[in-house]
Amino acid sequence: MQPHIKRAFTLLAIAIIVFIVIRSLVVPDSFGQYGWYRGDSVVDNRNFPVEYAGSASCGEENCHKTLYSIWEDSRHKTVNCETCHGPSEKHVSNVRIMPQPANESRDFCGLCHFRQTARPEDFSQIDPETHGQNLRCAYCHNPHKPWFV
Amino acid sequence: MNGDLTMSISRREFTRIGCRVIIGAAAGTAIIESIVKNSLASEDKKGEYDWNEHYWGFVVDTTKCIGCGRCANACKLENHVPFDEHLYRTWVERYRVLKKEEVKIDSPNGGIDGFTNDIPKEDIKKAFYVPKLCNHCDHPPCVQVCPVGATYLTEDGVVLIDYDYCIGCRYCIQGCPYGARYFLAEETPHHKPHSVLGGGVADKCTWCYHRITKGLLPACVQACPAGARIFGDLKDPDSAVNKILDKERINVLKPDLGTRPKAYYIGLDREVR
Ligand code: HEC
Ligand code: HEC
Ligand code: HEC
Repeated sequence: MQPHIKRAFTLLAIAIIVFIVIRSLVVPDSFGQYGWYRGDSVVDNRNFPVEYAGSASCGEENCHKTLYSIWEDSRHKTVNCETCHGPSEKHVSNVRIMPQPANESRDFCGLCHFRQTARPEDFSQIDPETHGQNLRCAYCHNPHKPWFV
Repeated sequence: MNGDLTMSISRREFTRIGCRVIIGAAAGTAIIESIVKNSLASEDKKGEYDWNEHYWGFVVDTTKCIGCGRCANACKLENHVPFDEHLYRTWVERYRVLKKEEVKIDSPNGGIDGFTNDIPKEDIKKAFYVPKLCNHCDHPPCVQVCPVGATYLTEDGVVLIDYDYCIGCRYCIQGCPYGARYFLAEETPHHKPHSVLGGGVADKCTWCYHRITKGLLPACVQACPAGARIFGDLKDPDSAVNKILDKERINVLKPDLGTRPKAYYIGLDREVR
């Protein structure tokens, strides 16, 4: 073989080796572990912080047990505590961190209860103009047990 | 020096050397890759949750939705999606079919602030809400178009994003026929702007992967007061979703596209797109 061709092939071989080495350094370790993606990214996605603790954790012993049992057999049992009180995982893991105060405005209850044409007919709805004389809803209804007037 | 500068290499010799180089390169890559993979296989990173035991599915019962928008609100709070921008992992659409054969579709702020009755009841033939979210397709077009492998379908049937690997090219946002993806430029606890590229990343609903792998429900499902959102394991015959899929008549969005969505809808109207 002629020397200049030998040189060309040597260069090609070096280029390929350099490519392989750089590729194995640059491609993340877990890439291709499960598929054409970084396997560690699944772990990243699993480790994001949880914000909503769930109503059950509010009803534990020494916590809001009484309030919870009232709520549990009320018409509002499908409305979770944190739907009105906001995400409270931090409060559950450290009681000194208080959750946001619940929104007491008429408009907040109205998100679910003001009459809307698109709302299913059989859902309890009221006319905001005439119902409750413009008083706060909690003046007459207990948010934790709406028929506890 | 024979003065002959033309290529005096025979065709056969050229092919032989060329083949050796190519085979060598392929073998080298394979060997290095297998070494890397073997060292990884020894450590199991999945923890106690085994994704081979689950395959997640979602049911939306549009006949029950009251349009309160608590799902969209809870979603933003759980996943730290900025409130001051029109970015939604899930949102509620309102469809109003008017008597004069016209369809009005709106979703002001994703439904988070509620809806107003801006069309008198007398003019409306029928009206209903349709909650939307990522369908976590079994044939996801967004995954196919990603040039860097930064979005993928997991073994338990969820389409996730690698926030560190995404280059923010937005192909997936274009590729999703459901408009479920958006561009996130801000820093959130889920994603820090790329150290090299600086820009944002694509983002979308993950069915709260960080919750469901811990045995919790997605935040939107937990927030729904009307039972319009049902989540569960398709591999478990007694799960909440399978109970519905076994008896209700269900449909998916845009079935003709062949994306095979895993968000199933009850009461889907022909106007819903
Ligand atoms: C429908 C919305 C709603 C739901 C659901 C709800 N709350 Fe409340 N909660 C409120 C409002 C509004 C207030 C403030 C009302 C007031 O001043 O009486 C409040 C007040 C409270 C307080 C303050 C103490 C008090 O009695 O004044 C506690 C504690 C509380 N809620 C716990 C809970 C727990 C635990 C649950 C779930 C079992 C829950 N809430 C569910 C709306 C709600
Ligand atoms: C997230 C939505 C939501 C919010 C916010 C909400 N409710 Fe309710 N409420 C419900 C649901 C769901 C029911 C069950 C009614 C049904 O299924 O028809 C209900 C039931 C009621 C009922 C009993 C209706 C009946 O027919 O028995 C009253 C009264 C009521 N709510 C008052 C309130 C008040 C007052 C507030 C504000 C503090 C409030 N609600 C906030 C969802 C909500
Ligand atoms: C002045 C007291 C008062 C106030 C304030 C008040 N309510 Fe009522 N509400 C009642 C009484 C009494 C009833 C039962 C009689 C009726 O149906 O009107 C009732 C009934 C309801 C019902 C059941 C309606 C049905 O047809 O099933 C809902 C839902 C309701 N209220 C929600 C609200 C909401 C939301 C607010 C705040 C925007 C509110 N209420 C404010 C006294 C009040």
